[in-house]
Amino acid sequence: MSFINVENISKTFKVAQRKSGLKATLKSFFKRKYFYIEAVKNISFQIEKGDIVGYIGPNGAGKSTTIKMLSGILLPDQGKIEINNMIPALDRQKYVANIGVVFGQRSQLWWDLPALDSFDLLKNIYKLKDDQYQKTIQELIGLLELDNIVQIPVRQLSLGQRMRCEIAASLIHNPSILFLDEPTIGLDATSKQIVRNFIKRINKERKTTIILTTHDMNDIEALAKRIILIGKGQVLYDGTIKHLKQKYGNYCNVIVTTKNILKTTNKKGIISKEKITDGYIFKIDINQITVSEFLKYLATKVKVDDVEINNESIDDLIIKLYKEFEI
Amino acid sequence: MSSYLSLFKIKFINNLQYRSAALAGILTQIFFGLVFIMVYIAFYTSNDNQGPIALSQLVTYLWLNQIFFTLVFIFQSEEQLLTMIRNGNIAYELCRPMNFYFKWFVTLYASRIAKVALRFLPVILLALILPSPYNLSLPYGIKEFIVFLLALLLSSLLATALSIIYHLLVFYLLDERGILTLLGVVGEIFSGLTIPIAFFPEFLKTIAYLLPFHYICDLPFRIYSGNISLSVALPNLIGGLIWLILFGLLGYMISKKMLKKAVIQGG
Amino acid sequence: MTLYLQSLKMHFKSLLEYKSSFIIGFLSQFLVFFTYYFIIIALFDKFDNVKGFTLYEVLLTFAIIQFGYAFNEVFARGIDKFDRLIINGSFDLLLLRPQKILLQVLCSEINYIKLSRLLQAIIVLIIAIVNLNLDWNIYKIITLILMLISSIIIFLAIFLLMASYCFLTVQGLEVRNVFTDGGKNLAQYPIGIFNKYFVIIFTFIIPYAFVNYYPLLFILGRLENKILIFSPLVVLLYLFISFKTFKWGMKKYTSTGS
Repeated sequence: MSFINVENISKTFKVAQRKSGLKATLKSFFKRKYFYIEAVKNISFQIEKGDIVGYIGPNGAGKSTTIKMLSGILLPDQGKIEINNMIPALDRQKYVANIGVVFGQRSQLWWDLPALDSFDLLKNIYKLKDDQYQKTIQELIGLLELDNIVQIPVRQLSLGQRMRCEIAASLIHNPSILFLDEPTIGLDATSKQIVRNFIKRINKERKTTIILTTHDMNDIEALAKRIILIGKGQVLYDGTIKHLKQKYGNYCNVIVTTKNILKTTNKKGIISKEKITDGYIFKIDINQITVSEFLKYLATKVKVDDVEINNESIDDLIIKLYKEFEI
Repeated sequence: MSSYLSLFKIKFINNLQYRSAALAGILTQIFFGLVFIMVYIAFYTSNDNQGPIALSQLVTYLWLNQIFFTLVFIFQSEEQLLTMIRNGNIAYELCRPMNFYFKWFVTLYASRIAKVALRFLPVILLALILPSPYNLSLPYGIKEFIVFLLALLLSSLLATALSIIYHLLVFYLLDERGILTLLGVVGEIFSGLTIPIAFFPEFLKTIAYLLPFHYICDLPFRIYSGNISLSVALPNLIGGLIWLILFGLLGYMISKKMLKKAVIQGG
Repeated sequence: MTLYLQSLKMHFKSLLEYKSSFIIGFLSQFLVFFTYYFIIIALFDKFDNVKGFTLYEVLLTFAIIQFGYAFNEVFARGIDKFDRLIINGSFDLLLLRPQKILLQVLCSEINYIKLSRLLQAIIVLIIAIVNLNLDWNIYKIITLILMLISSIIIFLAIFLLMASYCFLTVQGLEVRNVFTDGGKNLAQYPIGIFNKYFVIIFTFIIPYAFVNYYPLLFILGRLENKILIFSPLVVLLYLFISFKTFKWGMKKYTSTGS
């Protein structure tokens, strides 16, 4: 039995239909039509204790619905979730004492007060002992570089500072599972780095199981060995990020500025070529040709003035997966 | 002109979406109407001396109060406009090809009309068929009814003109809520919405008739029931019209000033 | 309880960040609420009784009802404004904490500005009692205290019922005005002055009559039966039902979500 067991869970929502125009509006005033959205369809996976898993997918894929079910806010319509031998939504009070959740878009801190006040309240909510609380809080403040920050009213903090406080707040009670919903959204590079290092460290030291949702590919590559990719409510892929890239192509966009005209390119690994005003955009498969090989090859054909290299985003990968699964 | 019409239309349609709000509004109006009417009836039937208005006229007044509440209640706030004024984004409104004041006048007016359009029929029908003394009476006469409609038009326009000024004041106040609530209550009382002006103590009555608010509820609803004769009503309508023009101009001028200041402050 | 006290303290600290707006808000609300009493005073200016009740007798019921309502507005604001918690998603955050949900909802908001209303209700209550010239005895004092407590409880119960409704949908919530504001408006008067159907509704469906009518008759000496002293306790049953409904709504919410 794994630490986290998710078996065939599904969830459907009922949504009211809206149409435009006076007539349609008047009509729906008297009779309203509904349709159903299957947010999550038959998802299963297991996660072991101490793992870091990236739970990723495009907007509306069913990510936050799954997180809500895993954290005990929602009960699945069908299927079963068992975490640490508890059923989250049914054993709520007992279960949540052992998890921490950070919603990037939603704050659990008191806006007008220093974060330290919020921490004190959380201490009472989680019924923590004084000495243990003091020890944890000092450790968190040190690791997240929050020394002076926790004394300032939250509304005066920068986004990065606030997010670090949010993360500290979710770890005060030493949870064994941490859910991070877009923890780096909108952060500057320094804050991102602090957050990532911190996540790695607590995972290593405390064996905290971490489930991370994000749109930032770099988060995933820095943190998660395993990803679960979902789209339209279904699991599209479950495995390592490396394997995913090998399997579905590790593409890279190379934007080349050149005044020359390039007629033909027939080298293995070049997927596509597109002409733009002052050059070309190439899509190449890194599994077949490295960037430097490609550039060397290109230099034999044209005079390259400038190059820009962009890694393919996870969203592009998902679009490819959609095509493959025909959904 | 046509742009204002289409603005009116879109705002109207947008308000029609709020079905459950309308149903709730209807229920609320009926309930409050009945409660108030019963309170007054209880007072009237337990005293020998008669009140300042005949009971049937009073009940009619109270029903009209409920029915047209959303049309004439002065301080209905439009969140979109308030937010824009609060955060200074109001300066962007200058980029639009419409006059700021008239644009918002039309918008606010449309939402009043939409709200009342969705609610008034069921309440009127119910109020008409209720047994005496709880019922809404028919208009005193055809002529009175026509003048009533005119007075109602005037009153709703006046209420809109006042509500725009109320919105604009937010720009000049650091913390507007307290002061605006206070203004709101003063307007509500002196328009005769809380309690008909006839029940005011004498000195307050004098003040009420000097202020512009009584054109909003007191005048139209009393015309309907024949509590004011037409010969008194007509000059009053002109008085109301003058106030409307005055407040319209005032609002217009404040909006000009405010936009100028908003541009300088840079939003 | 410590949790609630700590929240009281924290809300107060937050408030201190906006001192001037609190003072303005407090004063203006204090003035605004006098309009409630304005209606009653204006009416008694023209008439001398309503179904045999005098000005100060009516003011007594007014004050008791306003007291209970305002008390909830201050200390149970989280339940009063429960729809906001649902709409902005804060409720989901509360579900992530190992504490009783209702306690957390209570802790989520304290509205100190409405203390102005509470203060005002207490002032009017004192004015009414001083002017009533009743011969007070221990029974009547107990009755009055029970009335005040039950006034708090009945509004708490109604707020809870309305909050339960938010679990299903936040649409059409305006209808709650009928029960909260409307009920309050009605219950401010001795219920007996209303049409008999209303009296039945507000005795058996929403038991306002047990809060401020039957016990009022006892205090005023119109009825002697001592059982009336305890009639306000009927609202405990009502609170129990509301509490169960809230629990049921929460179950429904976690199985449907938003």
